[in-house]
Amino acid sequence: MNRTQLTRRACMTLATAAAAALALAGCNAAAPSNTTAGGVTNLKLIMNPGPEATAMSKVMAAYNAGQGATDKIHVAVDQLSRTDTYAKEATLMSTKSADYDFYQTASYYIAQHAPYLEPLQLNSSQYFPGALNSLKVNGEQEAIPLDPSVNFVFYRKDLIGKMLTDKAKFEQISQQVLGKKLEPKSPDQWTWDDYIASAAYFTRKYNSASPTQYGTELQAKNLVYNSMLWDDVLWNEGGSWLNSSGKPDLTSAAAKSAVNVYRTIYTKGLTSPASDQAEYPETEAALSSGNAAFALQWNAGYDQLNDPKQSPKTAGKIGIAPVPGVQHLSHVHTLAIGVNKYGQHVAQAQKFIAYLDTVNAMKAYVAAGGLASMPSALTDGSASISALKSTLANGTFNEPALPKAFDIYTALASDLSGAWVGQGSVDSALQKANADLAQLSGK
Amino acid sequence: MSALTTTRPEIGAAAKSPRSTRRQRSLHARGSARWVLGIPLILFLALLVAYPIGNGVISSLQNHTLLNPNPTWTGFSNYVRILTDSNFWDALSFTVVYTVLVTSIELVLGFLLALVFDRPFPGRRFLLSALILPIMIAPALMGIMFRLLLSQNIGVIPALLQALGINISLLSASTVIPLLVVLDVVQWTSFTFLLFHAALQGVPAELEEAAQLDRASRARFVFSILIPLLAPTIFITGFLRAIDAFRAFDTINVLTAGGPGTTTTTLSIYVYKILSSGDFGLASAASVVIAIIVLPIIPFVIRRITDGATS
Repeated sequence: MNRTQLTRRACMTLATAAAAALALAGCNAAAPSNTTAGGVTNLKLIMNPGPEATAMSKVMAAYNAGQGATDKIHVAVDQLSRTDTYAKEATLMSTKSADYDFYQTASYYIAQHAPYLEPLQLNSSQYFPGALNSLKVNGEQEAIPLDPSVNFVFYRKDLIGKMLTDKAKFEQISQQVLGKKLEPKSPDQWTWDDYIASAAYFTRKYNSASPTQYGTELQAKNLVYNSMLWDDVLWNEGGSWLNSSGKPDLTSAAAKSAVNVYRTIYTKGLTSPASDQAEYPETEAALSSGNAAFALQWNAGYDQLNDPKQSPKTAGKIGIAPVPGVQHLSHVHTLAIGVNKYGQHVAQAQKFIAYLDTVNAMKAYVAAGGLASMPSALTDGSASISALKSTLANGTFNEPALPKAFDIYTALASDLSGAWVGQGSVDSALQKANADLAQLSGK
Repeated sequence: MSALTTTRPEIGAAAKSPRSTRRQRSLHARGSARWVLGIPLILFLALLVAYPIGNGVISSLQNHTLLNPNPTWTGFSNYVRILTDSNFWDALSFTVVYTVLVTSIELVLGFLLALVFDRPFPGRRFLLSALILPIMIAPALMGIMFRLLLSQNIGVIPALLQALGINISLLSASTVIPLLVVLDVVQWTSFTFLLFHAALQGVPAELEEAAQLDRASRARFVFSILIPLLAPTIFITGFLRAIDAFRAFDTINVLTAGGPGTTTTTLSIYVYKILSSGDFGLASAASVVIAIIVLPIIPFVIRRITDGATS
């Protein structure tokens, strides 16, 4: 091999290596987000877009301009897709990434996220106990609670008022649908039978004079959050995921009754046939369009329904009632922020958490469009805030704090959503759900 | 083989001459250069194909979840869980039926449309452009769009149907599967049509003229000449659509999230839900099982494609 050939080969090898290096540069991990420049530590939070992230951005801006300058900390939020933020977080967590200093989390994820979060010390007396406790794992506070979510029945006050005076028609319809005569009641006194009978009263199929086509809108899509809504029925029918011995209890009479409540509403046509694919936005649309008279919905839905611009048909006419039942209990979960224990600046991140753990910071968060789990930060006297405070104070239940809670919600939606809308048998759906619960809870 | 045996002595004889030695060295250098130049591709394959597959297989044998930051070996327990999960078999069954249905319909419709567009008619160009619009829409967006269009409360389609006196909810439990098939057909028939249309451009006009001289009907020409002639295109188009339909996710997930129950859960949605729960080991095992199901088809397909290319 002569010198020319060697030189040519060397050149080719070098060129190839350079090309490979250039190609691989694209595969390199991004520089850590939390680099320190000019003595200021940059911290990053991952959140999904929405009112919470918008509100948090404003709180962060206030912190950066004030306390942050003293702490030499600058915080920023990265907003990812609404649906895939948790999937992205799962990837980051599983690789023990230091890219972000804070993670968005929630009550139903906290047990999964806990191994990657730094335990926090908070002024616990400032928060609603239910919200705070829903973020504890093995006694440790894993995240700071932000927006609490509970369920209410939103109803048309103008329509329900008329129903209460139409006793004869109501009794006739309840007899036809439920096989028993019921009297019309105010929504805050409803049991699930009253809910069904009232839905029938507002369904044109049973009452041609009904101002709405359907009585209610059922959120029966195969979706995690719809399992939480169904849990409202389960708990208020006297059931739970686990019995008093801690064993799975989804084959109980209460569970069967809870599935039958949904099944009756769907199969009797008291809700839109498309509600097998309905979730939060469809329920808002059903109420604001005047197609439904009332629905079980998340507390966040009130403002839109009461806004004259967004919902001219319902603004000023929406009443709030607790979840039907004897005890009127609502599921509760809380959005939260935790500190990445694999982050490079855990101590600085704790300083920002300490800032958030104050009434002023939470008031700023609420003023910017968020909700707080701190009673003293909820100073707005609106109907929805009053109902939220009252429910959080004494009208909630917590599903068992099982490590795989999110998986259980997923399994319940998958196993039961068919039975909710009349597919298959109730018993076999509940047996499958119970078996999945046993497997996922390890009980 | 015979060509090799006849050329070998010639190469051996030529090796003795200086010109042959130079040629051999040159060939050797070119051989080495091929490997050197292939390094980026090899690295690319190793990083983006071999490593993820290897890592996935390892993960499938571990208890690798978000709850368990330090995975432990669990043997084949993840595989047992997948194979004994009725939801997996429901998802597989729905995926296969869905794939066969949408692929068959789209092949037939795409071919018929290509035949129609193979002849000039007024407005042909405009209609051609309009026809290929659906493939330009992202599937997830398609799902969101139809979620709004089909909404019983604010949707245009239910309102139109009601105005026509048709009282049917297309998103109801009894109609949602046909609806998903129709949506896929609406979006992807234009893809099969485009491929067939392009293939038809390459068919010599003389063939049809000859068939007409022989008094063959249009149907006879299509079935006896055109279809056999386009068989490789039909195969490739069917394969591409089948692969795409088999991994259907976006539109269905947005519209139904796999429900009611597991009625519309595809394999991709099934794996996605496990992954969302943070059970990486189980999700990997499900992916490996799906790969094993699909794998036997690949050599057959590759052979058909390479045979087609050779012929």
